Amino acid sequence: MTNTGNNRLVGNSFKLGYRFQRYWDTSMAIAFFSAEVGTGLFLVSYFCNYVLGMALGLALTATLKPYFHLAHMGVPQKSWRAILRPDRSWISRGAFAVAVLVGFGVLHVIDRATGLGAALGLSQGVIDLVGYLAVAGALVVMCYQGLAMSHSESLTLWASPLLPVSSFCYALTAGALLTLVVGWGALEPRRLAGLVNLAVLMLILDTLVVFGILLSARRKSKGGAFSAEMLLQGEYSSPFRNLVLLLGLAAPVVLMALGAGSYPMVILATLAMLVGFFAFRVLLFKAAVFEPITHDLAGSIGLPSAR
Amino acid sequence: MAKMGMVFDLKACIGCNACVVACKQENSLPDGVFFTRTLSYEHGTYPNTRRTYIPTICNQCEDAPCEKVCPSGATFTREDGIVMVDRDKCIGCSSCAVACPYDMRTMLDKDMFEKGLFGTGELTPFEKQGYERFTPGTSVKCDFCSQRVDAGLDPACVSTCPTNARIFGDLDDPNSAPSKLIRDRDGRQPLPEKGTKPKVYYVD
Repeated sequence: MTNTGNNRLVGNSFKLGYRFQRYWDTSMAIAFFSAEVGTGLFLVSYFCNYVLGMALGLALTATLKPYFHLAHMGVPQKSWRAILRPDRSWISRGAFAVAVLVGFGVLHVIDRATGLGAALGLSQGVIDLVGYLAVAGALVVMCYQGLAMSHSESLTLWASPLLPVSSFCYALTAGALLTLVVGWGALEPRRLAGLVNLAVLMLILDTLVVFGILLSARRKSKGGAFSAEMLLQGEYSSPFRNLVLLLGLAAPVVLMALGAGSYPMVILATLAMLVGFFAFRVLLFKAAVFEPITHDLAGSIGLPSAR
Repeated sequence: MAKMGMVFDLKACIGCNACVVACKQENSLPDGVFFTRTLSYEHGTYPNTRRTYIPTICNQCEDAPCEKVCPSGATFTREDGIVMVDRDKCIGCSSCAVACPYDMRTMLDKDMFEKGLFGTGELTPFEKQGYERFTPGTSVKCDFCSQRVDAGLDPACVSTCPTNARIFGDLDDPNSAPSKLIRDRDGRQPLPEKGTKPKVYYVD
């Protein structure tokens, strides 16, 4: 039978159809984005042994992420209830990872900047351990937001193991590009060339992961296919194509290929990538839909699977 | 131990929305908040078209994803299986709203309580007394009118339904009305592949 009604996007109406996820909005997108960008910058700067980059990365993660998470909450003054429950709370475990990153990261930065560890007579093993713990915290934070989203089976677009991969890849891309921008002139040319190669490689990986997410959503359920369709052909296709794909992924690769030795080109590539990355974060929230409780009412009213 | 649940008889539902009005009245729900909805769906090819009504409500899932993700422990399941929200513990993170596959959570905006049901900015005495049970910024949901269930009554939507399309009772009791309906008319749960084990069934 042919459906005679519009059962697709129904908003808040009393019709059967897809409903947008509208609970996580721009505040959450900024919180996720700032954590991934900051942590990526810290991690790449750590491996380049670049103190200013590490400090900036930690500052970004430690300020913007908690601020925008709290701004999102309806009753922020009670957020301690969630932070103190690592046994059941995503927020608590995430806050713990950020605390490990920022705590050990700050100690590591202070040590690298002032030689504090050696002055206190600490062994090299202990000094290194502090750095490794900061890196471990950074790796968790880089993947964590994607992991939390992928845990939500209610929204097919998010329920993909590629979500944490995308968080990690985008964070590393942003980290490589921002370290280039911040460390231009301070880092050795050999190191800068390595960062350019890393950034280009990550941009290619980001592209593959983004399309992988859409492909897995399309296969997993009708709601997932609907979300992918909205991003590729529907309501959000214009920002997805122009901001995420062209500006955020293709343009930086072209700019780096044309002028990786030029500082203005690197700045432009970084800005373009960050705009695209933020657009990707926002669109992942906007294009996620809840499945209708039944997709096909033809004939007998069953409640068939959404798959 | 009881396992309170509900059955929707899709052949009986006429889409009058009396249940929606009764729910709003019983729970003093502000503008834009619905604990139950009767969705409509048109299908068929002219001239053989039909409109079907599908009542929806919080499914009080046995394996409730909203409870699992609640970071503050505000969402909990009572002994009789009704999933509740403790407004004093809710921090308004909306994790539950994102986790519920049925989109049956609502986040309470401050604006909802300020503009009033008539949009005049003034609250009626009914609204003033009713809104005391809510905390702006928190998450709310249907709890099968737990206050009525505790008093031995059916939820307001069930009592009001003029066609008996909503049947409420203990699913653990094989002789209860909803258990018999589920057994006799092949009751089906919404989105079973989500693995949430809803305690709401549909029969046709």
